[in-house]
Amino acid sequence: MAENLTRVYAMGNVEVRALAGVSLEVAKGEFVGIMGASGSGKSTLLHILGLLDRPTSGSVTIDGTDVLGLSDHRRTLFRLNRLGYVFQDYALIGELTALENVYLTSLVRGASKDEYIERSADILRRVGLGDRMDHRQSELSGGEQQRVAIARALVNSPSILLADEPCANLDSQTSKSILDLFARLNEELDQTIVMVSHEDWHKEYFCRIVTLRDGLIGDMVECRKA
Amino acid sequence: MLAGLRVSAFLAWKSIQRGSRGTLALTIMIIALIFVNLVFLPSIISGVVETFDAQSIDFDLGNLVIEPREGSQYIDDVTSLQKKVERIAGITGTSPRITAGVTYFYRGRNAASTLYGITPEDERSVTRIAEYMTAGEFLSNGDTDAIVMGTTLAGTEGEEAGGLPSLQGVGVGDSVEVAYPNGETRTYRVKGLFETQSFGVDTAAFVTTREMSRVLGLQDQASMILVKTAVNGREDEYKTEILSYGVQEDVLTFREKSGGFVEQAIQSFNIINTISTLVSLIIAIVVVFIVIFINTVNRRRQIGILKAIGIDQQIIINSYVIQVLFITAVGALVGIGLNAGVTTYLTAYPLVFPGGPVYPDVEASAILRSIGSLFGVSLVAGYIPAWRIAREDILTAIRG
Repeated sequence: MAENLTRVYAMGNVEVRALAGVSLEVAKGEFVGIMGASGSGKSTLLHILGLLDRPTSGSVTIDGTDVLGLSDHRRTLFRLNRLGYVFQDYALIGELTALENVYLTSLVRGASKDEYIERSADILRRVGLGDRMDHRQSELSGGEQQRVAIARALVNSPSILLADEPCANLDSQTSKSILDLFARLNEELDQTIVMVSHEDWHKEYFCRIVTLRDGLIGDMVECRKA
Repeated sequence: MLAGLRVSAFLAWKSIQRGSRGTLALTIMIIALIFVNLVFLPSIISGVVETFDAQSIDFDLGNLVIEPREGSQYIDDVTSLQKKVERIAGITGTSPRITAGVTYFYRGRNAASTLYGITPEDERSVTRIAEYMTAGEFLSNGDTDAIVMGTTLAGTEGEEAGGLPSLQGVGVGDSVEVAYPNGETRTYRVKGLFETQSFGVDTAAFVTTREMSRVLGLQDQASMILVKTAVNGREDEYKTEILSYGVQEDVLTFREKSGGFVEQAIQSFNIINTISTLVSLIIAIVVVFIVIFINTVNRRRQIGILKAIGIDQQIIINSYVIQVLFITAVGALVGIGLNAGVTTYLTAYPLVFPGGPVYPDVEASAILRSIGSLFGVSLVAGYIPAWRIAREDILTAIRG
């Protein structure tokens, strides 16, 4: 739950108000799309929800924890254990294979080898990459890389999966397969997803669309399901 | 903590395994060469000291030197003093020497140098000159008209000896005229030539004490008595022991006798070594810093992503530190290999110093010190750039 979030950037002597007071509640199992024009504050909101940035004011509560009150170290642990993040440009570690990219965070959590390999392989199979596990980033297509990124974000069963324009670098066919995957995860696993997008045709996948305008919620529409 | 280190090691290993091989090999090679540089000079200094000590003991002075008490030119009652000293446990030989500055004449050429009067049998119990004859034989106790000469003094026909005394071509069986400081001259037949590679010894010659005492009018007297001990390195203890037996003459260790020459040389070498070590370590710091800095700057975004997905910054820093430790460890191992190669070569073809051939003497402490200092500077040089980038704000890092 985000309450009255503001984020002001100082650019030289000029103050830029990216968020001007956004309040948003996301329920368990929702697939929320955050849309809006460029500069409307959608990425800033996602960064704050993903604990990658701090708001100038306001509060964020996830699973009953006031995450803004956490120390940097605790925030890192929170990201590791409760959040999954999918970046626009996949953000894989080039020196690791698909499987290694996925199980890296499980390794940090201290899981046993058998456990993290089995779980990571299972998720990679689930996202359709069962036969591409041992390939490195340079050997994967854009869509495959984004699937690896999604598998990595899911491996620790996060409370929320945050996706920042995950289809921005993909062609429409691949984008559709990624969105289908998100929809399937949302439906089958009851995975909560908050996704930033600026493509109108993505709307059909979202449960709820939050449209930002000049740092404020301009519109909120329930669509696919309640 | 352990899980963190496991992840650091995992990331480090993957980076080493799948990163740029060329950069890795070059960095390891630079560390290896720095290691060789750190170990090589101290090994040469140790070699110089060892050579000087061995040459001094084996050919020039023995372990200890007994000299006339102040105000006297000669030691009197040499035979009884010899007996007294030889009774001390651990003293294996004594050799009285009469020393004179003489001029040698040979075929119209002359050279001023030192002539020693020795008792050949005693001399054999202290020095090893007799084992280093290149031609002819060493002196016998009964010889009165024979001389043995160092190869530098004997010289080679038509060759100058670079400022050293040389008669340019004396051979065994030749006659050499010797002008003593008291005005007496004698002609001796050259019985043998020796070469010890110790310049001070190879520019001198020896006749028997019997002959020299007769020429100089001495009776059971000597300019010095060389003393050989069973073990090297305990000269100070033996000196105290000899003095405790009521010896009134001056007793000097071979180091004291050489007048601090070695200490001065070691001091100078150590200054050079310190400068060389500092330069080497600075190069190590700069190289490791640059490699890790470029590495982390190039992976700034990757570091941001790692933090974003929940990897603690200390794990990221440690992964770079582990890479540095690996590079340094492999570099040191390669350096040990290279150093063994250099040492083997220089043992087969030693450097020739004025004191004799110098063999590198690689001490375990020098290797440990070099490994320790290399690891120390590498850790610092690797940690700082990794820490600087890893503590950056996540979004700033991700945006590159």
